[in-house]
Amino acid sequence: MNPFQEHLHLLSRRHFFKSTGLAVGRIALAGLMLPEVVRASSSKIAAQAHPSLPGLPHFAPKAKRLIYLFMNGGPSQMDLLDYKPGMRKSFDADLPESIRMGQRLTTMTSGQSRFPIAPSKYEFKQYGKSGTWFSELLKNTAQVADEMAVIKSVHTEAINHDPAVTYIQTGRQIPGNASLGSWLSYGLGSECDNLPAFVVMTPSWSAKRDAQALYQRLWGSGFLPTKHAGVSLRAKGDPVLFIKDPPGVDSRTRRDMLDALAQLNLLEHKKIGDPEINTRISQYEMAFRMQSSVPDLTDISKESKATLELYGPEATTPGTFSHSALMARRLAERGVRCIEIFHREWDHHTDLPRDLPLQCRDVDRASYGLITDLKNRGMLDETLVVWGGEFGRTVYCQGKLTKEDYGRDHHPRCFSMWMAGGGIKGGMTYGETDDFSYNVVKDPVHISEINATILHCLGIDHRKLTFKFQGLDQRLTGVEERDVVKGILS
Amino acid sequence: MSNTEIAIRGRGVACAHALSGVMLFHLRRFICCALFGLLVVAAAHAGENAVVDFNRDIRPILSENCFSCHGPDEKKRKAKLRLDVRDIAVSVRESVQAVKPKDLDGSELWRRITTKDEDDLMPPSDSNKKLTAPQIAMLRRWILEGAEYKGHWSFEPPIKSGLPKISDKRWVKNDIDYFIAAKLADKKMKPEPEAAKETLIRRVTFDLTGLPPTPEEVDAFLADKKSDAYEKLVDRLLQSPRYGEQQARYWLDAVRYGDTHGLHLDNERSMWPYRDWVVNALNENMPFDQFTVWQIAGDLLPDATREQKVASGYNRCNITTSEGGAIDDEFYVRYAIDRTETTAINWMGLTAGCAVCHDHKFDPISQKEFYSLYSIFNNNNEKAMDGGIALTPPMLKLPSAEQEKQLAEFDQQIAGVKKEMDAAVANLDYKDPGPHELEKVTEPREIIFFEDEIPVGAKAVKIGGTSELELVTTNTGKVFSGAKAIKRSATGVAQDVFENSMQPLIVGNGDKLFAHIFIDPANPPKAIMLQFKTTDWNYRANWGDEEAIPYGEKGSEKKLMMGPLPKAGEWVRLEVETDKLAMKDGLRINGVAFTQHGGTIFWDKAGAMTQLVQKDRSAESQWAWEAHQRAEGAGGLPTEITTLIKKNSTNDVDEKALKNYYIKNVFSGGRIVLEPLNAKLKTLQDKRNELEKQIPGTLVSQEMEKPRGAYILRRGEYDQRGEEVQPGVPKFLPPLPADEKTNRLSFAKWLVAPNHPLTSRVIVNRYWQQFFGTGLVKSAEDFGSQGEWPSHPELLDWLAIHFMESGWNVKAFQKLLVSSAAYRQDSRVTEKKYEIDPENRLVSRGPRFRLDAEQIRDNALFVGGILEEKMGGRPVRPYQPEGIWEAVAYTKSDTANYKQDHGDALYRRSLYTLWKRTAAPASMTTFDAPSREKYCVRRERTDTPLQALVTMNDIQFVEAARHLGERMIQQSQNLDQRLEFGFRLVTARRPSTSEKSILKQALQKHLTKYESDPDSAGKLIAVGESPANKNLKSSELAAYTMVASLLLNLDETLNKN
Repeated sequence: MNPFQEHLHLLSRRHFFKSTGLAVGRIALAGLMLPEVVRASSSKIAAQAHPSLPGLPHFAPKAKRLIYLFMNGGPSQMDLLDYKPGMRKSFDADLPESIRMGQRLTTMTSGQSRFPIAPSKYEFKQYGKSGTWFSELLKNTAQVADEMAVIKSVHTEAINHDPAVTYIQTGRQIPGNASLGSWLSYGLGSECDNLPAFVVMTPSWSAKRDAQALYQRLWGSGFLPTKHAGVSLRAKGDPVLFIKDPPGVDSRTRRDMLDALAQLNLLEHKKIGDPEINTRISQYEMAFRMQSSVPDLTDISKESKATLELYGPEATTPGTFSHSALMARRLAERGVRCIEIFHREWDHHTDLPRDLPLQCRDVDRASYGLITDLKNRGMLDETLVVWGGEFGRTVYCQGKLTKEDYGRDHHPRCFSMWMAGGGIKGGMTYGETDDFSYNVVKDPVHISEINATILHCLGIDHRKLTFKFQGLDQRLTGVEERDVVKGILS
Repeated sequence: MSNTEIAIRGRGVACAHALSGVMLFHLRRFICCALFGLLVVAAAHAGENAVVDFNRDIRPILSENCFSCHGPDEKKRKAKLRLDVRDIAVSVRESVQAVKPKDLDGSELWRRITTKDEDDLMPPSDSNKKLTAPQIAMLRRWILEGAEYKGHWSFEPPIKSGLPKISDKRWVKNDIDYFIAAKLADKKMKPEPEAAKETLIRRVTFDLTGLPPTPEEVDAFLADKKSDAYEKLVDRLLQSPRYGEQQARYWLDAVRYGDTHGLHLDNERSMWPYRDWVVNALNENMPFDQFTVWQIAGDLLPDATREQKVASGYNRCNITTSEGGAIDDEFYVRYAIDRTETTAINWMGLTAGCAVCHDHKFDPISQKEFYSLYSIFNNNNEKAMDGGIALTPPMLKLPSAEQEKQLAEFDQQIAGVKKEMDAAVANLDYKDPGPHELEKVTEPREIIFFEDEIPVGAKAVKIGGTSELELVTTNTGKVFSGAKAIKRSATGVAQDVFENSMQPLIVGNGDKLFAHIFIDPANPPKAIMLQFKTTDWNYRANWGDEEAIPYGEKGSEKKLMMGPLPKAGEWVRLEVETDKLAMKDGLRINGVAFTQHGGTIFWDKAGAMTQLVQKDRSAESQWAWEAHQRAEGAGGLPTEITTLIKKNSTNDVDEKALKNYYIKNVFSGGRIVLEPLNAKLKTLQDKRNELEKQIPGTLVSQEMEKPRGAYILRRGEYDQRGEEVQPGVPKFLPPLPADEKTNRLSFAKWLVAPNHPLTSRVIVNRYWQQFFGTGLVKSAEDFGSQGEWPSHPELLDWLAIHFMESGWNVKAFQKLLVSSAAYRQDSRVTEKKYEIDPENRLVSRGPRFRLDAEQIRDNALFVGGILEEKMGGRPVRPYQPEGIWEAVAYTKSDTANYKQDHGDALYRRSLYTLWKRTAAPASMTTFDAPSREKYCVRRERTDTPLQALVTMNDIQFVEAARHLGERMIQQSQNLDQRLEFGFRLVTARRPSTSEKSILKQALQKHLTKYESDPDSAGKLIAVGESPANKNLKSSELAAYTMVASLLLNLDETLNKN
């Protein structure tokens, strides 16, 4: 355990011992209004149960929370954000060796005899005062161009999904490390006592193809305490696992059961003296609060028509990206620190023109809606919104190439993401790639630098947010020197 | 959980600071006396008077703050200074001495840690490290006392010291207690007396078997007033088969056992025979040294037994991938690193993985030494891609004795039939009628392939489209000839496919293939296609839009464009010449596909205009058969026969083999004789295959004949090979035996050799952690420089030696632990004691902590009386909320959809729950069970609201509560006795009067509720697949279910007390 945290833990336990535990125990014996006492005292404790680490944030944060829209599979940068008009004339031409430079390829295309260029078939336009280029597939998102920084020079080393997505979400290519959201929960603590600090959604997708996997490790806590792991907000079954009382148990019955439970646990505490017993009592009380706050969270009947319209027609359909984006705003309002939406099926090796528009339709309007909604409510300034995948796609075609139809393999050397909201300079483009969207030619941004920048916006120096594990100061951004992308900060 | 940095590319590893080496020592020296004065006040472990102990007091400070730049890692070393080696630390170089014993002024280290000059200060500010005042004071004392060094404690052989002297021996039960009592006396503390018998039996029963005691067992223990009552109890528990199931959990965490491959597809893996082997080995009390050797190298033991091979599956527990696009070499490297790292952590408490990319920063493991160790684990005869199959080779099938017998019987029968066949063939007199050209008739005529019926023996398949094959008559649609035609409407590409007809069409030069179509003018297609199958489907004739039907390479013969769509609203004959389709003479068409993009079309009569005699002469003439096979590319034959045909050899042996095959399988005369034998053979083979499928298997280790070879990998990258290395172990540890081949076997024996300083310490520490909650060394995974100093170093050594001396006797060792007074203490804690010993590191009270995930679930099933105690076998799929796998799994994975089991499988011990590693069982991970993607030798123990939700609302717990409630009702007519029985089941003790009255009140409230709301009562008791007892009143059962749920949620129930 980190010494800071250990210290904190001790303090709170001692505090607990003195201020509530034993005292409540005595009151219990006196036979007073016990459950109310328990509830009052434990809610106080629960609110403290998950504070930020001492010294955090390291400096005044621009954003209080993060909403991460993750496009799992690797969206094609040159069909969406990285406009390469010059490529049209190179249709079916071989990618010059001077560009490819013998760099390693996945075994899906490393055997290809040719690497013919597949220009994007989509029209691009400039949007906003900033004149940022967007593909027609993102024409709604483009409406808020002036809120966002588009980064075209993101790069990674991993070339296949499992390692790549594990890398960008946890800082390492192999399992076992703490995810971005769990670092935020660990470092900055929770702002609410009736919802988890880190919530994850995995909506459906429209191109009904085989979708690449997600892994719970992407929102796991790795070496951090498990309470920092992301909690799934589900569209099917209970929104939060086991949140619903069993059939035939209403809230009153649950309350009766919990009152008796608290009384018995207090008696035990009196006898044993272990402060952990009080922690357990308070956790049961928080569970009870979650049981009522989750239905309130998922009940969107009070959302105005205008708001719902922002997110598009699927906003009211649970399980869609659009609905998840609306939920993200509602979670943000309630003080949830980190919200991640993992949208799948962006892995377009073949038939890209068939599938990419469907995928974009899922997220385009909703992304616009989310940003606009946050802005309308004055929340955008304090919410960082990030959009992107684990790597990009190749300019050369995988499989059949026609002007209308093509596919693209994985491409780690450059891809595009956008960020908006708290801490980000709106209406700008950062970084440049070569004429083939193959190599970064200006202002490269490593994925760990994206993470460093996210932490920065939330008031964290990524070098200083560490956790001692196996003798090392583990950190999200790894051991290499990584910089915050200052050029996109407001 | 590790810090490996494999395959992370890019720029150089960040250096903690960038002061240039030599410069550092030319800086002006400067001593800050004022600061010195302030610091003397502070003191840490050593106490005011005790002598500084390098390992306890100094090494942790240096390791944490200095070693990353002045330690074992040669590449990152600054100023060529090592502070982990005394000779270098105290040497004078360029007139500067880092550490001058007994002389602060002469010690550059002292100056640099106390200077006010920001540029000179150590550790540098950009390292995010800072020495505390007590640490500086400690370093000062150390230098003044002579700056003595010692080897890192855990790398030195353990020493079995005598028992500490203690004044009061009344508390003591065995030797362990001397160490505990002495330490407590040091701290002026007293241990607790023995816990109540009920608490004790529950504690030890959970610890040894993972389940609680029954009230009968508690009663028997309470009644046994003899002095050996506890010992008898422990002996009974150690003999229980549940013992192995409980102990195996810890081991399976450590070796990252899982039931899926873990990466990407995360398909199911058959590894459970290894899991069962672990359980059995523990139950049989296999000595730990043997347990070690079998797992690391069972396959290499002379005449390895089946069990030894199964045990070697340890090396196969790592996660693997089969991701399309993944590069083999990269994953061979990852697997070997994983195995090396896991073995180092698990047996030696060494974070060797840190040396994947560079020399270890804290421990004396160079990068080269890491790859020497890795070399031992880099020779598994496996493929890099697991293939997504359950039994990725090398694997071992594990037939039961009965199955083995059956297999042998089948083999014998099969051999018998084959002999009969050989004899039959030998008796046949076959002469090839000789070469014949394909026979022609004078005029081409129509040979029909499709008309009204599906071609004989063909299978109709529909691809795309909206409906199944539809045959219409003149009443329901258009018909060209005969009685029926096919009608197909589609939006995208749709095909009606007929393949593998037993009456193929033989085609020749100049033939034409045809079909008839009628396009609905109201709904024309974009394109149509006629496609024919011989050995493949590469013969396509297209009409209409070239882009609409995406098959075949454009511009090639494989996508022949015939022109615009034929006229709609009338029957049109489509014709294509076989030459244009590049069909060779003699090819046999056995399938046809009618394809369209969109539209509504009637398809009718299809076939060929041909001059060839449609007679297959293969059955009469070997020559004809060979000629045909050559023309079609010899599909569907055994490879060796294909090769022979292609070879066209005149060699006697080849000819004989080919002829033999022909007569047996093709020749009509032969077939007549052989048909019944063939049928017999096929039945036997099918049965054998069926049996084979039933036989389980498991992944095992198998050494490659030629080792893969190992290299230093620069920055840990698989394709950055440096110097080649030989297998070996780090120099700071005892050497491997010189006379043995260095491989997994010699390595495993070396691990458990009596002179190894780490293995026994690491293992006994984990046992301690298991029973006491925290290890004597808290960092159970790290015994290196950055690991924690043991709370009781002498005890740890004593235990380590004792364990080895006992012949690595695990049960005897665990008996020693649970027999100690230390273990048997009451766990209550006063506020004062808590202040001094919050984590119970001093063992000032009995162990008390939350049960593990599996224990919590198993306990609920057990007290509910529904635990199904069948041991071993394939993993099971108990209740799981819908959508958990689906939310993450690759859609093509065989673990994409969770199919819950029913019946007994729902109530097995949690050890047998299928462990999908990318989505581990939710109710387990909520209680800190690891994902099993990586080793875990120490679980977290957190307390969260999500846990409360599991034990209150998970079907499994609600159903168990109902059964517990039912047991309470059936126990007695008396309310008090019912409640007491339930309470005893979960806590082993009787409730106090106030506890009972709280329970009564709760019951009363629930009764009132459910009597007035029978609907709700009915719903509550219907939870779970086991039916509710119909003889009980549902309102009463519901109320008791709630009380039982309350009991299952008691803090006391969820804890070992």
